[in-house]
Amino acid sequence: MLFNSLHFLVFFPLVVGLYYGLPPRWRGALLLLASYYFYMSWRAEYALLLLATTALDYYSGVRMSRLPDKRQRRPWLALSLISNLGTLFIFKYFNFFRDAAVALAGTLHLPVGAGPALGLLLPVGVSFYTFQSVGYIIDVYQGRLAAEQNFGRFALFVAFFPQLVAGPIERGGHMLPQFRREHDFDYGRIVSGLRLMAWGLFKKVVVADRLALLVNPVFNSPRQHPEGPLLVLATLAFTFQIYGDFSGYTDLARGAARVLGFDFNLNFRQPYQSASVPEFWRRWHISLSSWFRDYVYIPLGGSRVAPARAYFNLLAVFLISGLWHGANFTFVVWGGLHGLYLVLSTWARPAREWLAQRTGLAAHPGLRRGLGVAITFVLVAYAWIFFRANTLDDALFISRHLLTGWQLNGHQVATLLLDFSQHYRPELAVAAFAVGLMLAVEYFGSRHSPQAWVAAQPWATRWVGYVGLALLILYLGIFNSTSFIYFQF
Amino acid sequence: MPVQAAVSKLLMRLLLLAVAGALGAALLLPVVLRGGVDAFYGRFASPAAGSLILGTSRAAQGIRPAVLAARLGGQFEGPLLNYAFTLTHSPYGTAYLASIRRKLRPDVRHGLFIVAVDPWSLSAAGRADTVTNEVFPEEKSFIGQLHEVSQSPNLAYLTRYQTKPLYRLPLDFATATERLHPDGWLEVNIGLDNAQVRARTARKLLDYQKLAATQHLSAGRFAALRQTIDFLKRHGRVVLVRLPVGQGLRALEQQYQPDFEQQMQQLSTDFAVSFFDYSAGPYATTDGNHLQKAASQQFSQQLANDLAR
Repeated sequence: MLFNSLHFLVFFPLVVGLYYGLPPRWRGALLLLASYYFYMSWRAEYALLLLATTALDYYSGVRMSRLPDKRQRRPWLALSLISNLGTLFIFKYFNFFRDAAVALAGTLHLPVGAGPALGLLLPVGVSFYTFQSVGYIIDVYQGRLAAEQNFGRFALFVAFFPQLVAGPIERGGHMLPQFRREHDFDYGRIVSGLRLMAWGLFKKVVVADRLALLVNPVFNSPRQHPEGPLLVLATLAFTFQIYGDFSGYTDLARGAARVLGFDFNLNFRQPYQSASVPEFWRRWHISLSSWFRDYVYIPLGGSRVAPARAYFNLLAVFLISGLWHGANFTFVVWGGLHGLYLVLSTWARPAREWLAQRTGLAAHPGLRRGLGVAITFVLVAYAWIFFRANTLDDALFISRHLLTGWQLNGHQVATLLLDFSQHYRPELAVAAFAVGLMLAVEYFGSRHSPQAWVAAQPWATRWVGYVGLALLILYLGIFNSTSFIYFQF
Repeated sequence: MPVQAAVSKLLMRLLLLAVAGALGAALLLPVVLRGGVDAFYGRFASPAAGSLILGTSRAAQGIRPAVLAARLGGQFEGPLLNYAFTLTHSPYGTAYLASIRRKLRPDVRHGLFIVAVDPWSLSAAGRADTVTNEVFPEEKSFIGQLHEVSQSPNLAYLTRYQTKPLYRLPLDFATATERLHPDGWLEVNIGLDNAQVRARTARKLLDYQKLAATQHLSAGRFAALRQTIDFLKRHGRVVLVRLPVGQGLRALEQQYQPDFEQQMQQLSTDFAVSFFDYSAGPYATTDGNHLQKAASQQFSQQLANDLAR
């Protein structure tokens, strides 16, 4: 069930109505049932997989909580990690590593036969709920979190429908206490949640899905569009598409949770305003980057090791993060590129400072930051090519042709724009307007609290805004799109 | 604020917002009710038909029901509807036949059925020597999936198959590059100066050359055409028609399926129906494939005259 579907439009109000209508002691059960219904609307049998891994993690957590010594807890940790990561491997990575091994054997002329490929469909959201469960189990093992003793509550923590399929990846320490609390009907909070959902819907159906119409033809057959300007346009469009899609999904998820009385952590903080790649990763998909920081990077030694080892840690984390996104070399290269950006950024910091002093940029922090934002944006946008391309070959083709074919006359520019807008000129204007509005609101949000600002307006102003946003979504929205991009992970 | 008051306040606000949204959407009602949604919707919002024009976009743009009705008057049961779509949606097949069955009034006995034929509407993907299982993609489109085909407004179509953002409905209606008439004829108003037509014709020919290289004349589609004719004959007069096309496309069709004309002649003999071949007719096209607006008027007039004989 998609957040932008008629199905959800019926499901969500029904759940909210029942939730506040039921006595508090039944609400958790309702949310758990609703969450499993939500998940089963994709593929019912995979709910059994979710239930099985939930039961195993719950049991491992409870058993660990009864053991005072870390060494004694270790087998339960291992059992849980093996089952979680093993499931992820089988469903998501088995065929990828099998194909890679066969290709490698072929290159080395080794007489290795290919075993059969697994014809399994990737369970939606498996990477998200696996990481959430793994985070919980490590926290319990480390003694940072008391194991949840109530199975229903733990199952709800894993399967809570607003964040089940694409995050944010929440922590037990943040969510479990919220599931224990009663949540009264709070008009202000519900309205604030609905506002967030409306804004998320705008970003998804008006910005992201519209840009997808422009991006897909180019990225799906780049060889038919070898002109550099078109490839740059498509790359820029995808840069905003993925932001609209994923942050739109997150706003919908956070808004839905808020309506029900729960708070999710912030997942995006205006990432395209970052002045460096490290800053970008503190603002983009925050729940995943902080997960990798806490459960992979720091255990590897983080930055408190020799420089070479610290660079290795960074690269390793980003390669794994790339692979987490998808079983395809395009994602590995995307992760590797970001790892490389971070290594270079850390390594070249003294040189950058020296350069800033020499050129006088250090005396103009605003200008220096602006330059940093522009360079970071270009680096991030370039890396998105690998994220979006269907194959590594396509990504390399696009990379090679970005700077070719720029000697255009007016007629050629017009033809190119017409091709890019699917032969419907107003689409380009609408896309530019939608992206512009999204960026303006996000920029405003980086300096003020949009929710507080809206709440402080006279009712007439607020209602013009609400009705205007509803009509923008209704008139400009693309409603026949498929899934959210991050659902595939 | 007490909970009950807060709930009432929230529900009232949501209701107000829903009413505002509904009023906003209602602005489109005149466009929707006039069938101005897209190039197909009107055919599913019109009443069940007594006579039909079938085929792909060639027939959709090239045959005007109004011209036939004016010339042939009460010789067939009305209303006569152009129920031809595009090569993607309405090549002959079981899906199209099922849709035709739904659209035709069951009590019709003296209908007129113009069945436009060409090699492409009887082809399927894959080369003849390599295909084992033929795939008919239109089965997954509205032709195969839409069960209510005579309902206004057709909510099933609007919610499942209307793919344009709503802002485009009034814009498209106002600019009228494509206008679907109530009788199903698709009027297309695009530039007709020589350079534009030449460029479009060259592009279209390239598209069809690719099709010729990747398709084969389909036994499944041929069988469905036979079933279609058989079904329609029980409801009235059936005529096979091959529409005029540009020289380049005609040459390509002859090269792609040299025996096509004989096959159609044979089909018309088998079912005792007429076959009118206008493929070499001197009518102007917009792109070598579709008749220009004025040419569709002249061609429909000629077809009406030939049918009247």
